[in-house]
Amino acid sequence: MFENLDVFKISHAMAKHAGQRQSLIAQNVANADTPGYIARDVPAFKTTYENDGRNLQRATRSRHLNGMSVNGNATPTEQHTMASPDGNTVSIEQEMLKATDTIRQHDRAIAIYKSSLGILRSSLGRR
Amino acid sequence: MSEFSKALGVSSSGLQAQAARLRHLSENISNADTPGYRRKTISFETAFGAGDSAARVETGRVNLDSTELERIYDPAHPLSDDTGHYDGSNVNLLIELADAREAQRSYEANLKMFEQARKMSGSLMELLRR
Repeated sequence: MFENLDVFKISHAMAKHAGQRQSLIAQNVANADTPGYIARDVPAFKTTYENDGRNLQRATRSRHLNGMSVNGNATPTEQHTMASPDGNTVSIEQEMLKATDTIRQHDRAIAIYKSSLGILRSSLGRR
Repeated sequence: MSEFSKALGVSSSGLQAQAARLRHLSENISNADTPGYRRKTISFETAFGAGDSAARVETGRVNLDSTELERIYDPAHPLSDDTGHYDGSNVNLLIELADAREAQRSYEANLKMFEQARKMSGSLMELLRR
């Protein structure tokens, strides 16, 4: 289980993804009344994680992109959904729904990290 | 961590913008009966901070609504002209109240996002505790 600490890597990526998504949702909500603003979102963690390794070529250097930007974040895409008369595509209700999804994902990632850390600690004989 | 501080900054910019909007709305409502008052409108703009791609929201310049002032008939009024009319304000209370309600709704949404980003970074900090 602990040869290369995959669990930690995955939960780290998951928490990071949730953090990035939270930041985008905050931007969408802040601009909910700005004329002409297009809402942005990142693809779900499942798809970014799958694209990261098996389906595409593996990113072995920091400059390899594979749908990720340089700093390892997923690239945000614009959401051209139904726009209000002033050209704004943010829907507050949908953003709230996404926000709840995001905080649950973040909590889940942290719970996985915490419990794996507990197992690692007890295998080292510390309590 | 920087994502969360970015999110907090963006949310607080949203809160400030909505508060500024509400301030101008309340100015309009309190001056609804002032003769010759033109209602103030405020525009929202997306502003990108230096060095990051966070879309903060900023309030643009204040504009005066150029619609016709309401002509009120009151010959006893000191401002009335020969026909007995004087210029009232062009504030429509119904519009102001609907706008205020929308500002409140957006303010609450921003506050909720702020609270959630705080909670998420807090639970991250919790990992450091044993």
